[in-house]
Parts: sequence; C-alpha cells; structure tokens
Amino acid sequence: MFDLNIEGAELFALPFGDIVPYFSIYSATLAAFVLIFILISAFDHPERQLNIIFGGDAYYEKEIKEDDTRFSRFMAIACGFATLGAVLTGDIFNFTLFAVLVGITNIAIVASAGNRHVLNAAFQYGIVAMIATVPLFGAAAIILATTGTLSIWTLAGMGAVPLLAKALLILGVMGEGIAPLYIGKAEIIRAQGAPFVLMIHFSSLLLFLRVTEIVLVI
Amino acid sequence: MIIRRISGILSNFTNLSRVYAILVIIVVLAGIAGIPSLDYKGDRLYPKTIDRNSPLDPYDRGGIPFESTGILAEYPGNSPYLGYITAYLTPLSLALASATPHMGTTIVAHPGGIIDEILYATRGLDTVVETTILFVGFAVAAYLFRRREDE
Repeated sequence: MFDLNIEGAELFALPFGDIVPYFSIYSATLAAFVLIFILISAFDHPERQLNIIFGGDAYYEKEIKEDDTRFSRFMAIACGFATLGAVLTGDIFNFTLFAVLVGITNIAIVASAGNRHVLNAAFQYGIVAMIATVPLFGAAAIILATTGTLSIWTLAGMGAVPLLAKALLILGVMGEGIAPLYIGKAEIIRAQGAPFVLMIHFSSLLLFLRVTEIVLVI
Repeated sequence: MIIRRISGILSNFTNLSRVYAILVIIVVLAGIAGIPSLDYKGDRLYPKTIDRNSPLDPYDRGGIPFESTGILAEYPGNSPYLGYITAYLTPLSLALASATPHMGTTIVAHPGGIIDEILYATRGLDTVVETTILFVGFAVAAYLFRRREDE
C-alpha cells in the first residue's frame, strides 16, 4: 500500500486484530492536526461576545458561564477523537462508523446552542446525517460482498472495488460532512459556545481528506 | 442564469436535505442499473454455517472451549488466541442447552447475543464504536430533554 503515491512512507502500524490502524505520512499529518484541535477545544475558554447598543457608545459583554459550555466542550472533544479514529483506521467499515460518530457529535455541538433558529438548522442537518448512513453502510456492504474483505491494506492497489461503492462512500461522507454549510447558513458562529463550532468545520474537512485517500487507494 | 438559480436553492437550508436526497436517489438508481455487472464473491472472510439440529442453533460455532476454533481472520498473525472462548458456555447455559432445544434462540434474542454475533466475526472495535454511537445519541437526547425542563 505504501508504494502508492498518496500515502507516503509507512511510519507505524498497530496490529489490532482484523483492524490495523496505520500512520503513513499522509494520515500522520492529519492525526497531528486532529490532536492539536482536540487540545484547543479541551483548553479553550468560551468566546465572550460584545453587544453594542446603537445610538450610544455603551456596550456590554455577554456572560457565558463555564457550566453552559460543558456539554459542547465534551462533544467537541468526542468529535475530535471520532475524527482521529476515522483518520487512522485501516478498515472501511470502521471508517464509516467513525464518520457516523462524527456526524452525531456534530449535531450535538450545534444542538447545544439554545437559539430556536440554530436548533432548526441542527434538525435539518440531522435529517441529512440520517439519510447519509444508508449510502455509507451500503458502500461498506457492497465492498464486502464484491471483494470479500474490508481491509484497506488488502484492497490497496487492487482496483477491485466497484465504482458504485466508491460513489456511495463519497456521497455518505458528503452527507455527514455537510454540517459547515448549515453553520454558514444559520450563522451559528455568532451563537453561544463559538469556539467549539470550529470542531465541526475541522472534522468534516478531515473526513473529506481521508475519504479522498481511501477512494484513491482502494 | 443557472448558477444564480442553483445558489438560490442552496441558500435556503431547508432545501439542502432535499438536494441531498435527490443526489442519493440518482446514485442509487444508477447503482441498481449497475448491479448485474457486480459479481458476488462467495469465499468471503467471515463465513457462517448453521447446524439446524444443534440445541444452540443458530448460535452454534462448534469448537472446544479454550482451544482454537476454526475462525478465519484477515491477519491470523495478529490474533493468535482467536476463537479460544467462542465455544465457551457457562455451566447454567450448558445445562439449559442439554435440557432444551431453545438455548440458541434465547441467546440470539437479546442484544448481547447480537453484539456477540459481531464479536464472533473477530471485529471487536466495531462493537465498541457502534455502542459509542448509541451512547452519544442517548447523551444528546438526555441533554436536550433536561434542558427543556429547567427553562
């Protein structure tokens, strides 16, 4: 597998039963970024927003208690670890599972904002993330049925995976990683708990990078 | 302009789920048309044989407890103790299995049996991630429910 262009040299592989997580130069770079962002979301303070009163020069700072952000902080860290799993795993079914986990933690981060408009966006995203499980697991099932294995190591460079499975895999990751679109539309960036929203963008970006690697390798 | 119309549709986030569903339908329809060209590989890695006469049907895997059972693995070198406890039954379930023909049905009919089915296929991490997804779902639901209470 590591003679393929996209992976780079093999750094480390963990022989963990049938699922062998591996670090190539590509996935190790991604994993390093994920670790940095997990640390950021673990130790970051919530953003304090300023409300400016028009017509005067008064402004006041919104008070955000540490308790309010506990849930979104936890979910941001969970999302980080799910992304780490998706980046490192050497197994297609596990990748789809971690993608679903990223999707559900993304819903949680968005849902922890109390605004009705934001919750509406989270609901819409939840519908898409739910539909996306069908193409994701469908892709894994088709790969297992047509090749008899799910291991990226075994499938690498064989070209045995049908185009349909690859298309479904990309479509599924698109559905799970569509969250930033909702964030941009619902302006969740300005809602309470802003720094943790960062994780949503980051996790979907990494999911896309990883699925690109998988589709090019298998 | 067609681009203006497309971005007009995408600008309303309630439309996004519809757009995504249409994409899924297109790919699935094309996929259904392409299914005859896919060939099913019968000698897959995780085979399953069912012995209808065993009291442990459909759960019976055969083999002797704490000895190697005939389970295939992707990388046999990674799991030398594979299948050691696949055939293990507690004394109580052993007694039940010898007394009644329904022990296998009882095992499979509860969630632990389903999880065990997955574990049988030597893929332990799958079980962990699946239950994690379930628990995160519970955590989100509990958080939303409790928050509505204190408002």
